[in-house]
Amino acid sequence: MVLQARWSKILKDIWGNKSRSLLVIFSIAVGVAAVGMINNAARIIQRDLYSEYGAGNPALLQIYVSPFDKHLAKAVEDMREVESAQAMRVVGASISGADGQWDDVGLHVVQDYDDIQMDKYIPVSGSAKPAIREILLEGQSADLLGLHVGDVVAVEMPDERRYNLTVAGVVHDVYVMPFALLGEATGYVSMETLDWMGEAPYFNRLDIIVADGKNDKEHIIEVGGLARDRIIEPAGFSVAKIQIPGFGSDPGEHWAQSQIKGFILILQIMSVLAMFLSAGLVINTVSAILSQQIKQIGILRSVGAQRKQLIGMYVFNVLAFGILAVMIAIPVGLLGAWWLVDFAASFLNFTVNQIDLPLSVLLIQLGLGILMPVGVALVPILSGTRISVYDAIYQYGLGAESENGLVERLFGKMRILAPEVILALRNTFRKKGRLVFTLITLTLAGAMFVAVFSTRESLNVQINQVERYIEFDALLRLPGGRSKNAVEREALRIEGVSVAEGWGSVIGVILRDDDTESAEFEIVGLPFETSTIDPLLNEGEWLQGEGLNQIVVNEDLLDEEPDIRVGDEIVLEVGDKQRPFEVVGIASKHLSGPRIYMDYGDFERFSGRNNQVDEIRVIADPHMISSPSTQDEIAEQLEERFTNARLDPGSASTRHAFYGNITDTFDIILIILIVMAVLLAIVGGLGLTGTMGMNVLERTREIGVLRAVGASNFSVRQVVVIEGVVVGLLSWILGGILSGPSSWALAGAVINTTLETGLRLRYSFLGLFIWLVIVLLIGVVSSLAPARSATRLRVRDVLDYE
Amino acid sequence: MLGNCMSKVMELRRKEGESHTVPSNGKHKAHDNGRMIELRDVYKLYKTKSGDFPALKGIDLNIEQGEFVAVIGKSGAGKSTLVNLITGIDVPSSGEIIVDGFPVHNQNEDQKARWRGLNLGVVFQFFQLLPSLNLIENITIPMDFCSTYPSKERKARALHLLDQVGIAEHAYKIPSKISGGQQQRVAIARAMANDPGIIVADEPTGNLDSRTAGEIFELFSSFVDQGKTLLVVSHNKDIGPLATRVIEIADGEILNGNQKKISALEI
Repeated sequence: MVLQARWSKILKDIWGNKSRSLLVIFSIAVGVAAVGMINNAARIIQRDLYSEYGAGNPALLQIYVSPFDKHLAKAVEDMREVESAQAMRVVGASISGADGQWDDVGLHVVQDYDDIQMDKYIPVSGSAKPAIREILLEGQSADLLGLHVGDVVAVEMPDERRYNLTVAGVVHDVYVMPFALLGEATGYVSMETLDWMGEAPYFNRLDIIVADGKNDKEHIIEVGGLARDRIIEPAGFSVAKIQIPGFGSDPGEHWAQSQIKGFILILQIMSVLAMFLSAGLVINTVSAILSQQIKQIGILRSVGAQRKQLIGMYVFNVLAFGILAVMIAIPVGLLGAWWLVDFAASFLNFTVNQIDLPLSVLLIQLGLGILMPVGVALVPILSGTRISVYDAIYQYGLGAESENGLVERLFGKMRILAPEVILALRNTFRKKGRLVFTLITLTLAGAMFVAVFSTRESLNVQINQVERYIEFDALLRLPGGRSKNAVEREALRIEGVSVAEGWGSVIGVILRDDDTESAEFEIVGLPFETSTIDPLLNEGEWLQGEGLNQIVVNEDLLDEEPDIRVGDEIVLEVGDKQRPFEVVGIASKHLSGPRIYMDYGDFERFSGRNNQVDEIRVIADPHMISSPSTQDEIAEQLEERFTNARLDPGSASTRHAFYGNITDTFDIILIILIVMAVLLAIVGGLGLTGTMGMNVLERTREIGVLRAVGASNFSVRQVVVIEGVVVGLLSWILGGILSGPSSWALAGAVINTTLETGLRLRYSFLGLFIWLVIVLLIGVVSSLAPARSATRLRVRDVLDYE
Repeated sequence: MLGNCMSKVMELRRKEGESHTVPSNGKHKAHDNGRMIELRDVYKLYKTKSGDFPALKGIDLNIEQGEFVAVIGKSGAGKSTLVNLITGIDVPSSGEIIVDGFPVHNQNEDQKARWRGLNLGVVFQFFQLLPSLNLIENITIPMDFCSTYPSKERKARALHLLDQVGIAEHAYKIPSKISGGQQQRVAIARAMANDPGIIVADEPTGNLDSRTAGEIFELFSSFVDQGKTLLVVSHNKDIGPLATRVIEIADGEILNGNQKKISALEI
């Protein structure tokens, strides 16, 4: 086959201008790879995580109940509205890994291992059912602890008694919070084993699947209320909490589904933005190619080329760029998807079945990589090939540019500046269309870069609020409630503990003026002079005393009940008790979810839970936060002392553990966002590099003239580099302006997705400064190579340049 | 093989329009009135900041088939403008330009490009070769655009033309690897690619030394022997003896009318 000369010309032009071609190819490839990576990863996560989650028959509702036996589950299951109900127990303990290191472990007890009704785990190896003195380990826990089937593992209960259990099997459970995320391993034991380990053999959680309306959140909560009112409470048990599993998930959805969805959406938006930047770069480069080849276009016209043939040639050129770009982008996107899915799988503990490239993603990539560049390039191609032969051959080149505009004239009058600087400034504004495209690319990249940093700082604000809010050193949960006096007395006996506060909590609703009920909220009873939290009050004041029937609500509650104002009197209902309270303050968000605070005395009287608390919070020194090791020590002593006192404690946690988990999670999110920001910066950098290269190439003759009249190499380099820096600075100013709204949008979306809370934006001036440094570096680096090549040419060659 | 190609060219030209008269021997024939190039009261005004500048003022010119016409004149006289109007590269402000029966003055850019590709060879002062293509490809590109010769035969024709202009040994080099004179030979070979009846050259030796310029003029003369019509703009006095007619232009007007052959001394 003989390649026609016109196609040969295009291929040779691509090969002959390797840097420029690579620039366009990489620009397209970055966007296409990002789109492929995000969309494919999203698809694989949805396929493998969500399907795995759905396949195990997820519980739709969890009811935390005071200790009960399996007959209660049977009674609830017999309700017409309930399809199945399963009793569960989770006990906090410690487990020794293969390296002898102790880690927290949640020991799960399922009502009937022979007939698991919901949240079914998948056996991986060994037995699927733990016999007495055996434990099954969740796969990720087994991996991270270095334990295998057949190993004998030491488990230490809160009372410090140790038991050796045989690892009978490894199972994969997508329903529990992963070890890597929570820092707590998951094991499964039988009730007999728990009994043998000195624990009372009872269940404390009811998992429920409703009969109808499995997707109807309100209906499911309503069924929970019915179970409580008709079965559980009449049977003498108390309900601590009724909840849909997960963090704001809808019924039946993975516990982090809304976060995953939101996060993927953010990444998709960023990948689309990268595509837009790529498109801008393609337009810019193709315009430059055409502008550079105007004379050649004239020659081709003079030897018989019709416009449609020229259009075909340049479309072929862009097609070639696109094809080469997708050849790079598709495998890179697939690798990226692999990385992202692997990262998500280790983070969310699900099994990745296969990393593949579906036709849908492939078509999106091909469409974006090939059709998009051709589509956007048609604009410059159509206008570039419209030129007449005469204009192309005789009017293009030195002196063919339009008259100086206002900006150029202004620079011309700046006598104070060095000639090189004035020339560089004027050069910057010579190709206004190209300048605009370059500025758009770099501005968007800058705005997103700063937005990522602002998101980071805004997240830090939220984290700091949590950090500020938590003033306790350690906290011990007391499932089912204990005597307030007893637990506070016991806690204060620990050496070094100076403050001990018992907190009670119940679930209640707000009775609105229109006789409707709100959703269920947590009502917390705590000493009005609490020292274990330091809530930031957005409005009003903190609780002033006992017996005043005052409450403080938090912002999370206002999200759901926006009509509540400071000074309002609202009626709360707990069980069958109703009482009006005055809203005296609104506390900021601190990741606790909707919450109502009241003084413990008022709580006691209102809830009827006399002298009962559900957790104890302690502080060593009220004037300072203790070190993490002290916090750990106190937590350990709390567990030990309460166990010895037969107070049957749950798990203890510390301030630093709580804070650390949050920051770890956010760091991962930020790493991914920064990767995307860097990608945008790369595309922006490629844009400026391309522009500078083209500007210098177009001015080759002019540079020759400059050198012929005595300009030194240094001066020529200076002119080019200053121009690059000026473009960078301009984009930085514009990016800085745009970074306000972009920060607001990105930080808002990320915080809403990850924390399900509103935004308190903290604009990142550090990010703006870092972007300034980057953009200046891009300006210098992108112009150095063209500047060097401009000074390498001999004056004669340059003046002969056609 | 070349004979077959010629038939193809003729067939294509026949399709180009009724105004083209292609004899059976493949040679171009002057239009019915015997004129190959005809300009009637052609004006060209250029708009400048200081007002309209008349580059050509009411030019009337007839060139017959097989003529070798040299256009001379001082810089800015309007020589290049005249050539650009005849080739359709530029458009007249008024008047009519008929080339081989084709009304150049009222055609759009695409029609003129197609017509030029098939019927006219243009040679520029600065050669205007495509820098990324080798010499063969530079010559085959007009054939490619006009689909004149079968793809497989284009290379052979390009080599044949390179041989005619005496640089076949450089066929696979790119333009920057050969001398200016050699580049102009390639430009001439390219102008001959589709075997046009008319060759128009604008200062073809303006960038060459006198010896090389002489060789280029000799080459042009050989085309006249093949029945081509030549219009060459030049400062070079050596063209006079070779041309069948010399036209002198000054201030946008033809001074010596349609004067036949003049001596070198008169240039």
